Amino acid sequence: MTSVGEVAAVVTSDTAAPEVRTMAAEAVGLSKVYGEGNTRVVALDRVDIGFEAQRMTAIMGPSGSGKSTLMHCMAGLDEVTDGEVRIGDTLISDLSDKELTLLRRKRLGFIFQSFNLVPTLTASENIELPLLLGGRQPDSAWEDRVIESLTLTDRLKHRPDELSGGQQQRVAVARALVSRPDIIFADEPTGNLDSRSGDEVLGFLRRAVDEWGQTVVMVTHDARAASYADVVVFLRDGQVVDRIENPTADLVIDRIRALEV
Amino acid sequence: MRTVLRLTRRNLASNRLRFTLTTFAVLLGVSFVVSSFVLTDGLLKTFNNIVEDGNSEIDIEISARSDFAETASFERPIDEALLADVRAVEGVREAEPGAESTRIVPIKHDGQPVDPGLAPVLSFGWTGSDFSALTIEDGVGPSGANEFAMDFSSADRFGLVLGETYDMVGVDGPEPFTLVGTMRFGEENALAGAVLMSFTLDELQRLDDSEGLIGWIDIAVDDDADAAAVIDRLESVLPADIEAVTGAEVIAEDKDEFTVIIDIFGNILLGFGAVAVFVSAFIIYNTFNILLGQRVRQLALLRALGASGAQVRASSLLEALIVGVTASILGLGGGVLLALGLRGVMNSLGFSMPSIDIILSARTVIVALLVGVLITLLAAYSPAKRAATVPPVAAMRVGFRFGSGEGLRRTIIAIVLAALGIAGVGYGLFGGGDGGLVLLLVGLGAVLVFIAVAMFAPLFSSPSASFLGAPLEHIPGRKITGHIARENAARNNKRTASTAAGLMIGMALIAMATVTANSLKATVRASLGSTLIADFLVTAPNGGEMTDRVAGELAALPEFSDVSAVRYGAIRIGGDQKEVTGTDVTLLTSLLDVDVVEGDPAASAGAGTILLTEEVADTLAVTVGDQLVVDFAAAGPQTLTVGAIYRNEFLIGHYVIDLAAWDAYFASTSDNTVAVKAAPGVDLATAAAAFAPLEAAFPQLNFETQDEFSDRWEGALDSLLVIINVFLGLAIIIALLGIANTMALSVLERTREIGLMRAIGMTRRQTKGMIRLEAGVVSLFGAILGVLVGLVFGWVAVVAIPESIIDRLAIPTGTLVAYVVIATIAGLLAASLPARRASRLNVLDAISYE
Repeated sequence: MTSVGEVAAVVTSDTAAPEVRTMAAEAVGLSKVYGEGNTRVVALDRVDIGFEAQRMTAIMGPSGSGKSTLMHCMAGLDEVTDGEVRIGDTLISDLSDKELTLLRRKRLGFIFQSFNLVPTLTASENIELPLLLGGRQPDSAWEDRVIESLTLTDRLKHRPDELSGGQQQRVAVARALVSRPDIIFADEPTGNLDSRSGDEVLGFLRRAVDEWGQTVVMVTHDARAASYADVVVFLRDGQVVDRIENPTADLVIDRIRALEV
Repeated sequence: MRTVLRLTRRNLASNRLRFTLTTFAVLLGVSFVVSSFVLTDGLLKTFNNIVEDGNSEIDIEISARSDFAETASFERPIDEALLADVRAVEGVREAEPGAESTRIVPIKHDGQPVDPGLAPVLSFGWTGSDFSALTIEDGVGPSGANEFAMDFSSADRFGLVLGETYDMVGVDGPEPFTLVGTMRFGEENALAGAVLMSFTLDELQRLDDSEGLIGWIDIAVDDDADAAAVIDRLESVLPADIEAVTGAEVIAEDKDEFTVIIDIFGNILLGFGAVAVFVSAFIIYNTFNILLGQRVRQLALLRALGASGAQVRASSLLEALIVGVTASILGLGGGVLLALGLRGVMNSLGFSMPSIDIILSARTVIVALLVGVLITLLAAYSPAKRAATVPPVAAMRVGFRFGSGEGLRRTIIAIVLAALGIAGVGYGLFGGGDGGLVLLLVGLGAVLVFIAVAMFAPLFSSPSASFLGAPLEHIPGRKITGHIARENAARNNKRTASTAAGLMIGMALIAMATVTANSLKATVRASLGSTLIADFLVTAPNGGEMTDRVAGELAALPEFSDVSAVRYGAIRIGGDQKEVTGTDVTLLTSLLDVDVVEGDPAASAGAGTILLTEEVADTLAVTVGDQLVVDFAAAGPQTLTVGAIYRNEFLIGHYVIDLAAWDAYFASTSDNTVAVKAAPGVDLATAAAAFAPLEAAFPQLNFETQDEFSDRWEGALDSLLVIINVFLGLAIIIALLGIANTMALSVLERTREIGLMRAIGMTRRQTKGMIRLEAGVVSLFGAILGVLVGLVFGWVAVVAIPESIIDRLAIPTGTLVAYVVIATIAGLLAASLPARRASRLNVLDAISYE
């Protein structure tokens, strides 16, 4: 088992890589504890981690390893028990509910496993929702480009219940992209999709990173999904235990097996 | 059964808010029903006590025999000389004269008359005997000239001080009288707002201009005498038109009179209670229906695990039963509190009510429980029946919805109900039944119409909500939340329809009352304008009387050309009691445009003539010159000749006699109104100034132009309308609870959606705004629907009410729009609690909510 210190070292050693990468989000000593006394559960145990800008990071780990909790804490959806979380330069652990909401609206994008869309709104309204909530006008050239590349052009007037699961997730991707956020958090984005639709969605996320310089953090338990990422981080028992760069599905499966032993 | 019980208990426990709101809705309805019973029982008991207290010492009472209804019973006073004859009868131990007057008004130090509003100022002759229900509270009873006593609560209310001197206006101008005592009426001084005064009999007669006349004689018989035998002996000395009855009969008669009045009051309260219960039923129905939709998977799981449809239904009904029983029991308590509160409100308005006993009779408890439980079960029955139809497979399937295949059936039922309702209202109003049947048919018909409208409403609730919500998308800074609110309001047509239906009922009733009152006002104003030629009207407060001296003095003034007194009384024609107007017929057509059809009113002067409307003449099949036997309370049957036939009964009614006839056949010569026309060439301001000396002499009288008269009259009508609308407001409050309830359930149902929106950047404020705006749209829909239904009801009422009272439909658009705006804002605010709840949802929990 790798110690926390070693992981930190690995992360730090990244600065020696050919291009200097800035961190889109960062956590230092992040702990998350649920309950008290007998029911006390440590979901995250003093985690130090950074997500590099303009890269796609996958978070993996067995059930209960804390991977979803980590993402929720980093995305300002859950309060942290201890430690610091930064999105860019902003220390989010101290922000009020309103400040956090505005941060999520302006600087973050979200893709959930299911129930991603507001059922009463059309696809295009769903896509523009974060902008509309902020009273902002969408950048139509950019929006068109996103919608076109996601092949949603002829689906814009449809309500979610008139879209397939894959189309719904593509709408969610478009919504996450349209505000050009600092970072997109995806929570098992392909969990409910067949493999073809899943590949499509992952392909779009990949392109968003490669072509448009977006940053994606994705929680998944699917090795093939993780293989789309630039970096895979492994969690177990609330701690970061491993990390690989430029993963392949097989490599990921091997690591998971090793963790589960 | 035990499983069903446990399941039911769990359901209730896990949804405390919903349970509370539903229970509260039923509770409010039950409370109103209970309070009407409690107040009625308490009032009856207290008034019965007063009647018994006041008459307990009386063995026999002598009064004028009269077949006329009680309004006319003081028409024929007794000659005071009879007292000596009565006292001489063997077995009569004590006989005391009784006299009453409504024509005496005290003037306060500020120059204003004592005005108890709708209640009268009653004056009695003070005898100091045990017979009277009046006892001295402080000071002494009046024993000489220029002394009076007043009941202590009125003295307190109008600031009259013992020992001080006040102007007293009787038939003559003001005279100084000293307040020598305060009195108590019965034990509670429960006067329902009336002011009581007493004077010595002589002074009362002098002020009332009824010297030598009394109203009745109270008699106590010797201890060993038999009352029946004494009555026999009395009848032998009394004139034929004077009767002697036992004290027990007097008590029974008085009790009957009170019972009639108290029953009317109780029935009005009961009516409001019925409206409240009816609106509650809508809320219960709606709540159980929404609940059902949310519990489909749970119900299906139960079915999959082997629960029978009957068990599922039983569980739902049991839940309703628990709500019903809880609400009814709490409603009993609520009703008692409401009764106390209503009494307090009435006391503060000056209707001093007795400190009535709170009587929770077995009947009240049974009715409350029955109403609360039955209405809840009835409302929950259809949802429970549908619950039993959930297929087990729905446990596995996401998005199971109850079929809307019943659409056609629903529409047919709605059409049948609407037809029945309209038929009921129509037959009730135009079928010519008596009062009770009319009310019952109209009430039931209206209930059916409301249910039918509520059943039709889902057909158009979604497009309507979408249409009404459209402006929300243009509120700066609220565009997107407004858009979502609009979509949500249009999302579930049935839910929007039945939530709005609750509000519709209250709004419809308020709109109907407002339209009817406004039409009445418009009719009266227009009729006054077109019919009344007189420039001024002189009236006594509260439809009371004034001395004929007023008309006499006005007639003597050069500023006025035509002055005629108008008196209202009762006659009987063919056994039916009718209202008759006495006036100077020679001036009739110059003061009032009565639209003469035949004959000449001016030529009909004298005691032998009567004037009729065309309507009455047709019914009686008489024409000018025919003779008619008319029965008067004081003078008995008289044969009168029809002198003229006219068409317009406004202000004077269907029967008119000349003042000469009045003086001949009626005992009283007081005037109700004096109609006055300015002399030619005298402008109205100059003429009005000529009233000054009379205004000083009779400060209690109103000297008004046509417009001033209408304004005052409309003001009184408006006050009444406010009271009615405040009571109907209860139905609105219940409907608002229903809106809060629905929104709370919708928030629960949309937890994931709200969580999602919060995650991607919807602030708490925006979330609250979104929920409130949705409630606003639903309320607006309900309010508009209600006003539309109310307009139809108001129109029907206007058509049904005789043209002599209301002849036109006048819609107060501004007022109705204001009501809609108020209801919408209230609906918006009612959703505050669920809105707050939605905004406080934990985002993560909400996203993963199942």
